[in-house]
Amino acid sequence: MGNLTLGRYIPMDSPIHKMDPRAKILAMLMMLIAIFIPSGWIGYGILFVIVSMVIILAKLSFSFIFKAMKPMLFMLVFLLIINILVVKTGYVLLQMGSIVIWSDAVFNTLYIAVRLLLMIMITTCLTATTKPLDMTMGIEDLLKPFQKIHVPAHEIAMLISIALRFIPDLIDETMRIMKAQESRGVDLKEGKMMERITAILSLIVPLFVSAFQRAEDLANAMEARGYAPGQPRTRYKQLKMESRDYVLLICAGLILAGMIGMAVL
Amino acid sequence: MSITFSKVSYVYSPGTPYEYRALDGVDLTLEEGKITAIIGRTGSGKSTLIQHLNALLLPNEGEIQILGRTIKAGEKPKNLKPLRKDVGLVFQFPEYQLFEETVIKDVIFGPKNFGVSEEDAKKKAKEALALVGLSEDIYEKSPLELSGGQKRRVAIADILAMDPKILVLDEPTAGLDPMGTKEMMSLFYRLNRQFGKTILIVTHDMEQVYQYCDDVVVLEDGKVRIHQDKDTFFRDAKECESMGILPPALIRMKEILKAKGFTLSENIHSVDALAEALREEVRNG
Repeated sequence: MGNLTLGRYIPMDSPIHKMDPRAKILAMLMMLIAIFIPSGWIGYGILFVIVSMVIILAKLSFSFIFKAMKPMLFMLVFLLIINILVVKTGYVLLQMGSIVIWSDAVFNTLYIAVRLLLMIMITTCLTATTKPLDMTMGIEDLLKPFQKIHVPAHEIAMLISIALRFIPDLIDETMRIMKAQESRGVDLKEGKMMERITAILSLIVPLFVSAFQRAEDLANAMEARGYAPGQPRTRYKQLKMESRDYVLLICAGLILAGMIGMAVL
Repeated sequence: MSITFSKVSYVYSPGTPYEYRALDGVDLTLEEGKITAIIGRTGSGKSTLIQHLNALLLPNEGEIQILGRTIKAGEKPKNLKPLRKDVGLVFQFPEYQLFEETVIKDVIFGPKNFGVSEEDAKKKAKEALALVGLSEDIYEKSPLELSGGQKRRVAIADILAMDPKILVLDEPTAGLDPMGTKEMMSLFYRLNRQFGKTILIVTHDMEQVYQYCDDVVVLEDGKVRIHQDKDTFFRDAKECESMGILPPALIRMKEILKAKGFTLSENIHSVDALAEALREEVRNG
């Protein structure tokens, strides 16, 4: 669990890291939409090349991205099996007794795999290059227009930033409790059904206790410093769009338009 | 018998930007039957070192010999339960490990995991709770209702009930009041002298080291800087200070008294013993 890579910020000095989080979030949304436009293999090829260039620009390593991809492997295998059982179109690729594998089953799965890969690459480009705090500031600013229809933009952003802030802490806490209970002879990997249930209980109960304790401490600390939700607040750090941010947005817009064009033609 | 670390290195998150070498070629031989203090600055590798003792962490390089077992880098050890039973590890602020409905159930949990029968486990649990100074009327209470100091005692009893041969404690008295601290340290001392347990204590309190421990291990940047008996260790005040360690006040007190003409022996390690010795000397003129 200490090797969790999905959604982790990687401190580097790159042009992508310096960009405005709002521009990055919007660009990411456009790119994600672009992925879901069925632009065919050529379209995905182009997207892959562009995203790879961004990854290189951001000084991220590809192994990092593939590590983030690992948890998805199980899902993909599962999908392949379902597809093989259900999809019966295209031409027959392979026949083993009563099991017939159709070409569309394999291609459908591949299609989803490529989309997933692209999605993870794009979202990683955002999360790995943007500090969680900057990210929530960006989200808050982007949600501001929706305040008119009573979307609590600031509260949502605060919720997200608190949740993000405590993920690593809770992971550390889990590891700590696991080690303490392992020292008391708990075997989290093996054992009979009943033993495993107690093993998991010995992990979950302390985790809940400490999570609630943390929540209370945090609430008290925030109140002690005069935090009141819904009040107008100023910010120490102001976000400012620069020319490179507009370039990013225009590029993302062009790519999206290009993909739509390819799909239509 | 002894516990031996040979060229042990441990790296956190190897191959990532967060890579961190916590232990760097540790060579260390700890004698069984002693109380050894492990000291060093924050981040010097103390907690990493002690987690190797019951194979919670496995070395990236080197090997460890403990209680007739060898743990080698790159080899996955099988059947760790006997080792986990014999090396009781009490973590820093261990209160969070309490999870059962009642205190007694929580203390029984450990021995039962190691295959002790319900009845024997209960007996062991009662012994352990008595050792840490908790009375019977809290047996049926929920551990979450207890005070901080009581929780700490239950957590330590959790480990004692497993009847380990080696007891490893990571800052066991942090956050306890002075009375509680004294009681806990006396307990560990008694476990060593009376029951022959090998004890390792990670601590920042030099007064504790001076009063209760036999040997001192100083870690620095993941390496063992010094491993000596405490009297030799504290004799060189300059060397101590170069490591950021302030010798206990008692030593300075003794030096001042010696300068005034008292002949105090080496083996005075507590305020009580010093007071006793002074009384003797004053009485005998």
